[in-house]
Amino acid sequence: MPRDRDPLVVGRVIGDVLDPFTRSISLRVTYATRDVSNGVELKPSQVVNQPRVDIGGDDLRTFYTLVMVDPDAPSPSDPNLREYLHWLVTDIPATTGASFGQEVVCYESPRPTVGIHRFVFVLFRQLGRQTVYAPGWRQNFNTRDFAELYNLGLPVAAVYFNCQRESGSGGRRT
Amino acid sequence: MEEVWKEINLASLHDNSSSREGLNPHNPHFILQDFLARPFSKDPPANRVSANGDTTFLVSPPPPPPATLLSLNSGPGFDFLDNSYPLRSKPRLQMQNNPISDLPNMNCPFEALASPSGLACFDKKRFQDPDNNSGDRRHKRMIKNRESAARSRARKQAYTNELELEVAHLMEENARLKRQQEQLRVAAATPLSGKRTLQRTSTAPF
Repeated sequence: MPRDRDPLVVGRVIGDVLDPFTRSISLRVTYATRDVSNGVELKPSQVVNQPRVDIGGDDLRTFYTLVMVDPDAPSPSDPNLREYLHWLVTDIPATTGASFGQEVVCYESPRPTVGIHRFVFVLFRQLGRQTVYAPGWRQNFNTRDFAELYNLGLPVAAVYFNCQRESGSGGRRT
Repeated sequence: MEEVWKEINLASLHDNSSSREGLNPHNPHFILQDFLARPFSKDPPANRVSANGDTTFLVSPPPPPPATLLSLNSGPGFDFLDNSYPLRSKPRLQMQNNPISDLPNMNCPFEALASPSGLACFDKKRFQDPDNNSGDRRHKRMIKNRESAARSRARKQAYTNELELEVAHLMEENARLKRQQEQLRVAAATPLSGKRTLQRTSTAPF
């Protein structure tokens, strides 16, 4: 797909959160029965509990890190808390899922108050099993810096969904 | 909201002190977006002051040099906006002016709009009069609304692209599975090879 039609680019995930990368590992995120594909809208009530995350690859000895952030915190028009870290799981063996990894930062349910937020899942390949230290706080996390700090390189997969407060009108005037 | 307000003040204070050739409206590279993004950063050029016959518009006479000149509809980049939104801009600007200045202006609003003199001139103080506040707020609101609209369009387009990708992918998979199914059907329909049937062989000595 031409770079400028990639949903991650059009939705500004590549730009605001990530640098351009090539997908190489499958990443499947499922909330209850709903698969997350780029740009779907989910309600807070649908994402209260952590999703099922299945990753691809072929070698069980290769480990991956999963990051979930909200780049539009607290509001997309003034994201001064960008990025808000919702979940951080490391040491996920290839072909398995997040439940097989180390939860460094536990899952926090998205609860956007203002505007329509993007919630981004990013998968990185680790060089080996490694100790990752949780940041002191969730806000103002920087995925790029985090990847550099732990030598994770460019992402191998990413997906995002949109979410607004439960009673939101979708930005439409009612 | 308070932080936004503080931000505007701080930003404009900083802007004032730095060199601003790039943001000078008379710089040929000055673009509309620059104008819209920096309402406070324009110094009134000399010709503006001299051509300013409509001094009644000014809230206070510009001291040399005036701290800022805020003008919603003046400057080179704005002409096309005037033509596009004549209905919107006229009544708003007239509300901003002093009542006295309305009278000479009402007969020829476009001339006034197009004139190089600002329709309102403001001193940049920490505590600003209500006219300036509403101008800032309006401007800020316009920019925020634009950004919000852009985000909305991006959101919609991204989802559409994703769906198109999924459709293409699913159609491919569908075609592949159908081919596979066809092949299996053909394979099942041919007579079984001999080796698959039961046979009597001798393995035991008895």
